[in-house]
Amino acid sequence: MKSYTQISGEIGEFSDLPFWKKADAIDIVYVSYGLLIVTLVVVSYIFGAFNFLPFDPEDIDLELMMAGPFTGKHLFGTDFMGRDMLSRLIVGIQAYFLPGLLAIFIALFFGTVLGVLAGYRGGRFDTGITYFTNLVDSFPRLVLILLVIAAFKPDIYYIMIVVGITNVPAVASHIKGKILFLKQKNFIEADIALGLPTRTIILKHILWHNCRSILIIQATLGMGEAILMETSLSYLGFGVQEPTPSWGNMVQAGSNYFMKGQFWPSTAPSLAILFTILGFHLLGDGLNNILEGKRNK
Amino acid sequence: MTAPLLKIEDLRTYFYSKSKQAFIRSVDNVNLEIGKGETLGVVGESGSGKSITALSVMGLLSAGPGVITGRIGFKSDRVQKNLLQDIGDFVKLTMMDGKVMAVQKDEDGWQELSEHRMSNLRGKEISMIFQNPKQSMNPFMTVGRQITEAIQLHTEHKSEQAAKERALEWLDRVKIDTPRLRFDNHPYGLSGGMCQRAMIAMALSCEPSLLIADEPTTGLDATIQSKIVDLLAELKAELGITTMLISHDISIISRLSDTVAVMYGGTVVETGPAKAILAKNEDLKHPYTAALLISIPSSENIKGKGNLQAIEGDVLDTINIPAGCRFYGRCNRVTDKIKEKCERQEPDLRDISPGHKARCWLYFD
Amino acid sequence: MSKTILEVIDLKKHFAHRKGLLSFGEPHRSIPAVDGVSFYLKENETVGLVGESGCGKTTIGRTILRLEKPTSGRIIFDGTDITALDTGELRKLRGKMQMIFQDLDAALNPKMRIREILNEAITVHHELTDADVDKRIAELLEQVNLKRSKLSNFPHELSGGEKRRVGVARVLSVGAQFLVADEPTSALDVSIQAQVVNLLRDLQKQLGLSFLFISHDLRVVELVSHKVAVMYLGKIVEMGLSGRIANKASHPYTHILWSSLVEKQSREAGKKATSVQAGRWGVFDFERPLEGCRFAPRCPVFESKGRPDICTSAASEPVLREIAGGHQVACHFPL
Repeated sequence: MKSYTQISGEIGEFSDLPFWKKADAIDIVYVSYGLLIVTLVVVSYIFGAFNFLPFDPEDIDLELMMAGPFTGKHLFGTDFMGRDMLSRLIVGIQAYFLPGLLAIFIALFFGTVLGVLAGYRGGRFDTGITYFTNLVDSFPRLVLILLVIAAFKPDIYYIMIVVGITNVPAVASHIKGKILFLKQKNFIEADIALGLPTRTIILKHILWHNCRSILIIQATLGMGEAILMETSLSYLGFGVQEPTPSWGNMVQAGSNYFMKGQFWPSTAPSLAILFTILGFHLLGDGLNNILEGKRNK
Repeated sequence: MTAPLLKIEDLRTYFYSKSKQAFIRSVDNVNLEIGKGETLGVVGESGSGKSITALSVMGLLSAGPGVITGRIGFKSDRVQKNLLQDIGDFVKLTMMDGKVMAVQKDEDGWQELSEHRMSNLRGKEISMIFQNPKQSMNPFMTVGRQITEAIQLHTEHKSEQAAKERALEWLDRVKIDTPRLRFDNHPYGLSGGMCQRAMIAMALSCEPSLLIADEPTTGLDATIQSKIVDLLAELKAELGITTMLISHDISIISRLSDTVAVMYGGTVVETGPAKAILAKNEDLKHPYTAALLISIPSSENIKGKGNLQAIEGDVLDTINIPAGCRFYGRCNRVTDKIKEKCERQEPDLRDISPGHKARCWLYFD
Repeated sequence: MSKTILEVIDLKKHFAHRKGLLSFGEPHRSIPAVDGVSFYLKENETVGLVGESGCGKTTIGRTILRLEKPTSGRIIFDGTDITALDTGELRKLRGKMQMIFQDLDAALNPKMRIREILNEAITVHHELTDADVDKRIAELLEQVNLKRSKLSNFPHELSGGEKRRVGVARVLSVGAQFLVADEPTSALDVSIQAQVVNLLRDLQKQLGLSFLFISHDLRVVELVSHKVAVMYLGKIVEMGLSGRIANKASHPYTHILWSSLVEKQSREAGKKATSVQAGRWGVFDFERPLEGCRFAPRCPVFESKGRPDICTSAASEPVLREIAGGHQVACHFPL
């Protein structure tokens, strides 16, 4: 029995179709799922920020402890103290949303600056920045975070600054790689020779036209990592403290009852973490394949 | 005249473009013949399909998106077979309104059969020289080791010592200075010209029946180019090896070939003896060949400092191949009489004088 | 007599080896890509620069445009010394001199439409109203013979020839009078090359441009240039009117270059020409230029004269000297 596979060879670059039509179906699925999750997270964050919640997340109801989903008005059930799970999950987003954005901002901003310096100026800058990124890369991130916690205090913003800094090398190397690629094609030189101001070359031609997809992808991946970091630390007790909910400490608190057969209180936040991080990563991955054309190469 | 060593009939190599939902007809209805001991020069611009033709013969397009149909008859003293027999069975086309909507290919089956057809041929009966010698040699092995291995694999010199002797002999033969020294060099330790010589030595050391040289001098410096051409000419005189020489450089083709095929837009537009085709007279020649020859700066242009006679327009895009003659849009010899035919119907490759074929309506009525 | 637009005096460009962060004290090693080159270029004139790859011809072009900083020597453009200009002054200078790059895509940002690319180039050095920009674009399109419909295309939708035309339009748009054309035809198909060569020559006539035409295609150089300079390992070995260089070459290297052209074409010349060229073809180490004449190890004359000392001694590296009107050669034994 012969098995036939669909072939799709590309020679050169064709522009007749918009990029989403050229993309592989699986990448579309990745990106759509990712966008759905991102939208959900953002909308939930806004609801939480304006306290627009079904229940008070700290309202204890001892009559209705550890209820499963769809119990009465509690869509996602309740936890071990009878607090509404959905409200707590929504409020839990507060714990990582702004800190995560801070981490992304630090990674993208400093990564871009260092990447541009290393790629555009080159020479000693490049050597120095390479040493710096190697140094950062060679340090285990968790150890670094624990050091910061020990030295200062277990504040989520400190932690996210560390997460941001440890993501700088990845962004910087992507930007530098792109600039070297453009240099190799004499692209930047042609701009200089034309007499364009350096500002225009870097901001418009390099960053806006050629690096924006890299930055978007790095931002989504960075957010995924920030969430993972925040939840793990909260789980370990270094992050947000009870009674303020965070997905990490919800899993931790629920896990005490897990062995006693009460699965829901820790499973619900675990699933939330899983689907959210998956969403950000698949979004980054799908965008990478579609915008940067990585899959076919 | 003896039977040709390689006879390509109606070769079509298509690549399916998913985004265009159409075939890129890289090679479209190519017919070529190379007699024993002859050198066939294939001239054409980029996208004319000359390299794809060579790769199709080598069976190097079997993997991936290529769809090859036609007949490639190969007949040497030792082997005789059609390299493309039954290979089309592995491809299914989905057509809609005359447009190819999808191509499905049984990749494994295709590859297996293609490998089977090419077994005992590649390297042994047909070998190839590529444009980038440095990229086509293994960077982690010494030049000598690579040649020795090829010899052990393909010839009766199986012992290490004998193979090494032959490898050195070949390195000497392609005029590499101090072959014993170069033998232990890695490809990156050699200059471009030297590397190409080593590549030629490797290709010839297995004593193939057919040598395919794909742009052997492109990318080398002018003085080195002429040295490589000299070498090829000498080897040709010495060994009488059958060669398919592919180049866009007409001067190289005219120096080395006995017969010439001119390719344009994926097909052969003219084929015949080198002298007749490359002579700079306009009559009895495909208009494309004539225009191409004139567009190269000649001594007369240079003396008079006059402008070149350029061919207007752009090289044909092999996706939207017109219904009529491929060169119609750029042709400067269309007469009112044949205009309609040129536009609507593609001419066949027919004799315009004995042994000289062209694909042009000018010559048939 | 037209005036001299560009004069290059004893230009040197040495590339330093890449240094590590902490390697301040190490001895300075460098590769001389251009090693003392002088020539001048008159208005409305084309000087061709030929040589093999690695001989430094592209580096000269880039240094004249100050994309590279010269190690020493002077570049005088239009009466002003531009060797030591700062970034701001350089930017103004780029309104007068421009470069056509070998890579067709070099000047074309893949994310911008042709109209935007031209618009940007036009407004770099001149502040114009939208209507004036439109007028200028139309004028440029006519000059480079490009269809108006292409304006809304992206670069990758164009063919090679069209890309080259846009590239030329882009450098013309700033109003440059002097262009460095670095291998402008080598990335193009044979049938398109002629179009571009014709275009450049027509533009020269129309706009009175001056060209430094860098190419390894000897025939094209011979055709378009008034004067030709032949380079070998960072130095000019012969310079003169193009007809003389092509037909009455005095330097053995020039002779070999041009005879390699003829030789490729004619079968009969093959044997004879090979014997003239018999020399050793070593790989050159750019870090340590040979003492004396750089070409000596490959030179047939050197070989046939029994390896005279004058060619290899460090004290007597040949210098350019005039042998006929405007024809200079750097060789102890000119042919």
